Amino acid sequence: MNAEVSHEIVLNVNGEVKRFSAPARRLLSDALRGDLGLTGTHVGCEHGVCGCCTVLIDNQPVRSCLTFAIAAQDRKIRTVEGLADADGELHPVQAAFKECHALQCGFCTPGFLMTATALLEQRPNPDEEEITEALAGNLCRCTGYQNIRSAIGHAIELMQSDI
Amino acid sequence: MTVGATPSRVDAVDKVTGLATYPADRVPKNAVHAVVVFTNQPHARLVKLGLAETLAAPGVVTVVTAADVPVNEYGLTLFDQPVFIGLDDTGRSSVPCNVSRWEADHLVVVVAESLIEARQASALIRTEWEQLPMANDVVVARTDEILVHPGSTSNTYHELKIRKGDIEKGIAAADVIIEGTYELPHQEHAYLQVEAATAWIDDEGLVTVETGGQWVHEDREQIAHALDIDPEEVRVRYASIGGAFGGKEDMSLQIVMAVTARKLAKLGNKRSVHCGWSREESIVGHHKRHRATVHARLGATAQGIITAVEADVWLDAGAYNYTSNKVLGNLHLSVAGAYDVPNARIDSKAIYTHSVPGGAFRGFGGPQGAFVAESQMNKLAEALGIDPLELRRQNALTDISAGITQAGLPEGVGVVRVIDACAERAPTSEEPASGKPFRPIASLPAEMGQLRQGRGYAVGMKNVGFSFGFPEACEADVVFHGDPEDHRPIRVELLHSAAEVGQGVHTALIQMVADAANVDSKQIEATFSDTATGGDSGSASASRLTFMAGNSILGAVEEAEKAWADGDRPALGHFSYKPPLTEALDPQTGVGQPNFCYGYMAQAVDLTVDIGTGHVRVDRVLSVHDVGKAIHPRMLIGQVEGAIAQAHGYVLSEQLVVEDGRIRNPRLSQYLIPGIGDVPVKIDCVILETTDLVGPWGARGVAEMPFITYAPAVTAAIHDATGVWIDTFPLTPSVLLGHLALGNL
Ligand code: FES
Ligand code: FES
Repeated sequence: MNAEVSHEIVLNVNGEVKRFSAPARRLLSDALRGDLGLTGTHVGCEHGVCGCCTVLIDNQPVRSCLTFAIAAQDRKIRTVEGLADADGELHPVQAAFKECHALQCGFCTPGFLMTATALLEQRPNPDEEEITEALAGNLCRCTGYQNIRSAIGHAIELMQSDI
Repeated sequence: MTVGATPSRVDAVDKVTGLATYPADRVPKNAVHAVVVFTNQPHARLVKLGLAETLAAPGVVTVVTAADVPVNEYGLTLFDQPVFIGLDDTGRSSVPCNVSRWEADHLVVVVAESLIEARQASALIRTEWEQLPMANDVVVARTDEILVHPGSTSNTYHELKIRKGDIEKGIAAADVIIEGTYELPHQEHAYLQVEAATAWIDDEGLVTVETGGQWVHEDREQIAHALDIDPEEVRVRYASIGGAFGGKEDMSLQIVMAVTARKLAKLGNKRSVHCGWSREESIVGHHKRHRATVHARLGATAQGIITAVEADVWLDAGAYNYTSNKVLGNLHLSVAGAYDVPNARIDSKAIYTHSVPGGAFRGFGGPQGAFVAESQMNKLAEALGIDPLELRRQNALTDISAGITQAGLPEGVGVVRVIDACAERAPTSEEPASGKPFRPIASLPAEMGQLRQGRGYAVGMKNVGFSFGFPEACEADVVFHGDPEDHRPIRVELLHSAAEVGQGVHTALIQMVADAANVDSKQIEATFSDTATGGDSGSASASRLTFMAGNSILGAVEEAEKAWADGDRPALGHFSYKPPLTEALDPQTGVGQPNFCYGYMAQAVDLTVDIGTGHVRVDRVLSVHDVGKAIHPRMLIGQVEGAIAQAHGYVLSEQLVVEDGRIRNPRLSQYLIPGIGDVPVKIDCVILETTDLVGPWGARGVAEMPFITYAPAVTAAIHDATGVWIDTFPLTPSVLLGHLALGNL
């Protein structure tokens, strides 16, 4: 019942160092959203099923609702807010989701964007099955996934024409 | 960016950058936090409620109970639900508030400095309950031995009848009679953004609630009713909304947060209060698609001409009405299908039970009705050896049909059009659409000898807009800005309350303003979903917004044009669109005109069944829609694909377990909505554009239609593949295996 002891936590988020104090059991999702005001990371189920809360830690997609903030110290965290350029130019995955209508309510979108970014960084040319497998842990209740699939294809084109 | 084009969504950049803020993203820095404590009692009388320890707990600011609600009742169409269960009845409620009839009835709101403190203090609430006997389902409830609402005489509280022609003659004239009992399951909306709201008293003294719902003005009405104040003293506005599908049409946090903000203000506390539900609270705490039982008979001649339809419908309303009386109406009309039926007897009943309330969910009774009507037609086609689409064509409703309610149909009936397009476009080859191997269990190759393929069809129609004489209107305000010497406006303002639940209505409305006012969309500034600025749009439901809001915009632009021509600067255009009137049906015969517009659809589903494991893969869906006019064809296809994915879960995987009035699986790990690997491999969407005479630019509506026909098309395809008819679902692998075993497969 006593208020939990707070610790200083230092996170590297989107290339910036952020300090705040929070109990040791503060979840990364709550830290990003509540302590750091980065509300682009969404929480849809609180226990690792929906993928809305996906962020990248050292370039790997991770469910921030299942990760303690403290465990993410000294590692590089990327969230949806860090995808676009500093001057606001959209990341190819973002541009592709926008152009292909791969979102409706948009609540699942940040999670999909992070998972897709990690996939395409690791495998610039995934086949259909690899795409399915990579995105199998992200739920969307609105789109039916068809346009999300097209957006991944389009993102691949955009990334290749970028080089 | 005009009508018929496919611009990017107006909210796309905010949604892909994380800038869009949903209700839980907008917690003011100094807000206090609230927890809504449910009674956790499906049927019990409250004997004692002890709050002393809660009030004394660290960080607690206040508690809110029944005693704080001036009029302790709510309900969208009937005031049959208390806002809070409690001992101190304000005496101004149509339902006694000391009995909990649903596990998610609200008991107390605990307000504290932090969420953790509010949760800890909630655990200190002391209650004593006297358990009462349960009417768990319609079988028990319809005997009326246990009344859900004492003071009423029966749990069967809403009944509808259709009496058309001479049912005995119709049955006698039939060469074949198809008879079946269909059990339709609950479905959870599972929008990914769970309910959250923030409330405060603003500088002008308005009780202000910011949340995500489907109809700001209805939220405002319900809040004002409970607080016993003028709706003008309440302001409701929406943040970004993370899906709704009918599940946010009823009240969740709106009233309780308004009551809480008011109590805080009375205590001299000016801080905002925020509350966000967990996924579990969301699943337990809001209504579901209705469970229903339907017994049906369909008679036809050997040539396949329908002679009679009989049906008895029992709709499990749950503990409170929500919109069950209206859902019942849609189900009632749709059990007869999109066909000319000369003789009919249909008796439909909504019945209170001690179970989770049923309410609005995409399709609104249509999916249950269509499952019955289309399964009956598919069985009839088999019994007579007639092609299922040909059977439907020869019985289809047309412009000259009287219809099941004997008042004719709005002109432009499209049943034959969608059937013809479906027949023409359905693939003829026997090959699976994808050509990909089917691996029911990812790590194992399938046993080829166990795979069976099949095709199934379903056809239907769904009303657009409110039915049965419910007041239907939509307001829009358009303002043209410019200088007196400007020939055309340089800037156009749109004020509208249409809720953007993801369907893309804000984008569509801006397209429509640009088209109607002949300006560039960049010149348009829109303010949406705020009762302080916009008129009443009606709800984001019933596939109605494109139709209703489109017409409201046409009217408002016309008014603004007139004012502009008169030299007004700014030139104001206000318009309230009212569609053709509808009527309640005659209580004895069901005669009347229930609707002003319909959308029409037909689907063909190709699938593969693994009879060894019970897994089903849908290889291809052909989905044909007569939409009148596609305002934004790509977003429209998105509605079709999304609706099919939801219907896919409805028929194949989503199993809500309700036992003794309690939901046993309120988590997304236990209630399985489809993922990217589960949905149909391929969806071909065929859009027909037969101008609707009263629709804006000729448009009808489409959001619900693809959902409605999918389940019966899937079960027909499973029958085609295996020879087994199945009259219930969800067909999870183990359940399907059970059915196949009964069919000796
Ligand atoms: S919120 Fe983390 S997976 Fe759903
Ligand atoms: S767009 Fe709404 S959940 Fe994916």
